[in-house]
Amino acid sequence: MNQLVVKIDRSEMRTDQFEIDLRSGMTVLEAVDAIYFYHDPSLAYRYSCRTGLCTTCMMLINGKPGLSCMTIAEPGEDGILHLAPLPRGKNIKDLIQEV
Amino acid sequence: MDEVKTDMLVIGSGAAGLAASVYAAESNQQILVIDKGAIGRSGSTVGAIQIASLGSWSHPEDSLEAYREDISDSGRGLSSPVLTDILVQDISDRIEDLLQWGLKLDKNVHNDILVAATSGHTLPRSISSKKGKTGLAILQVLTKKARKRNNIQRWSDVITLELVKANERVAGAVVLDLKKNKPYLIRCKAVILATGGIGQLYPITSNPAQSTGDGFALSLAAGASLVDMEQIQFYPVSLINPPSLSGLCLSFYHSAKLYNRNGERFMKKYEPETMENTTRDKLAIAIASEVEGGLGTPNGGVWVDAAENIEEVKRQFHHEYQLCLDRGLDFERHQAEAGPAAHFIMGGVLIDRNAASTMPGLYVVGESAGGLHGGNRLGNNALSECVVFGARAGMSAAREITQMSSITADVPLQTNKADKLIAVISNSGQGSERSYTCKKAVSELMGKYVGVVRSTEGLLQAKKELYAIEEKLAHVKIMSSPNFYSKEIVDYVEALHMVTTAHAVVEAALTRKESRGAHYNKDFPAQLTEAEHTIVKIENGKMTVQEEGEI
Repeated sequence: MNQLVVKIDRSEMRTDQFEIDLRSGMTVLEAVDAIYFYHDPSLAYRYSCRTGLCTTCMMLINGKPGLSCMTIAEPGEDGILHLAPLPRGKNIKDLIQEV
Repeated sequence: MDEVKTDMLVIGSGAAGLAASVYAAESNQQILVIDKGAIGRSGSTVGAIQIASLGSWSHPEDSLEAYREDISDSGRGLSSPVLTDILVQDISDRIEDLLQWGLKLDKNVHNDILVAATSGHTLPRSISSKKGKTGLAILQVLTKKARKRNNIQRWSDVITLELVKANERVAGAVVLDLKKNKPYLIRCKAVILATGGIGQLYPITSNPAQSTGDGFALSLAAGASLVDMEQIQFYPVSLINPPSLSGLCLSFYHSAKLYNRNGERFMKKYEPETMENTTRDKLAIAIASEVEGGLGTPNGGVWVDAAENIEEVKRQFHHEYQLCLDRGLDFERHQAEAGPAAHFIMGGVLIDRNAASTMPGLYVVGESAGGLHGGNRLGNNALSECVVFGARAGMSAAREITQMSSITADVPLQTNKADKLIAVISNSGQGSERSYTCKKAVSELMGKYVGVVRSTEGLLQAKKELYAIEEKLAHVKIMSSPNFYSKEIVDYVEALHMVTTAHAVVEAALTRKESRGAHYNKDFPAQLTEAEHTIVKIENGKMTVQEEGEI
């Protein structure tokens, strides 16, 4: 199984890096789930419908805003998948912005 | 504990909760609507495709009577005639309101309102908005309306731990603001509960992440009764693969063909006349029976082939088609593995014509309420239920509390569970069990023993395993800091709600010694002559079940 390096900009200016098992067709949301399940249970993120309708799982994916449930987990140009909260609005924790 | 005061507390902000808030707000009472996720974007409403209704678009032969009969036939003797009457009588007025507030219905090429036929409805009466994103469209209209009212306050990211009572009446709730995990006591004159369904109690579901059965557990603990909790609709044809789309409903199944592992179009054995175009309960039982009989696909489903009517699929169900295509599943060229996914619970909190539960001060609406759909919900009646009974609850609760004196600031509210729960969270550094693992264990055992095809032995095993998970939850380990948003804490509270609700489903299923509607027990495959309802309550701390003829 391939590995994917995921770098997440978190609360309090912290950036963490995780190495996860990459499955073919895996979405960014599934990658974030895997980090919460197997690597760091303190990671905070938001989602609901998993089908691209509710838009609550939106985050910066390799620098661009996107729905994590609809985007395939792929590394950016530097070989790493970069995730960060949306720049606008107040941050609650990690990838969660206030609604 | 800090306190918050409001006249009315609405828990949940899907179509039912927001409709309740908007109609209640006409009274000038103060309304507080809370959601454990993002307000207006975290429930099953988001994914609803169409809504059934009578109106100017109705087929000339359609009528109150015809609609009522369809619901009653589909309910397999368990649909409440009182609730059915209300639904068919009120729905067109509620749609009119939504249209006045800005809802735009989809039109056909002749600029007439697009009306679709749906299995089980004898006449076409399903309308839509935003090209089949009807739930989203209704949420937008209701959210806009709610924003305009200064007597509606909205509060996102706050989960309910317990409903609290004063003088044998629901008079508030203990909630946890997830942003800082700070508990609050909300004091109010009435609570409207609209927390949706139970999809997450199962491993494969079409429901959003938030559908963890919270409302059933909260209502039970407050002393309300639940009706027919064993009646859970499995959407018959939902994707199993790819995993990121697991549970996605294939709404075009009526125009697709289903095959078992031997390439046999097996529906000819079960429903030779209607084939795949039958009601959801019958199709789900047929598919599950094929899988049980060893004729399933590698991942435990059947093959769905939509190639023959692909143009219709592309046109009418574009979102689903495109979503699959984006993940490498092209229905024009490939068959897909699909099977039943937990979709909707017909059972729920027992309510009257105004959505009042049996516990004074507590109203329950939408999927959290039970009794309207009986043993099988007809397609597109879920949104109809939300707007009709949301409005009823909002208006009647407002009427009731307008006559009440001030909020009981000095009356001690009985809290019991919430204090213990907060204590467990505070001491969870010493624990050993992940809350997420407990949630997963509940869904796995429910899928294994309380799915489409059930047996008495399996149900008893489910009960045993649920007790074991309950025990584990007393020793939960929460590693994240309790001072910030913690998904582990959300998972812990949800896991507790899930276990209580799962117990109610299992108890109801054990009590129904027949197969009726969505409940199929292979030890009692026949349907009894008389239809009885199962009623679950908690009395003196113990869950009890009774059977009742009429509700």
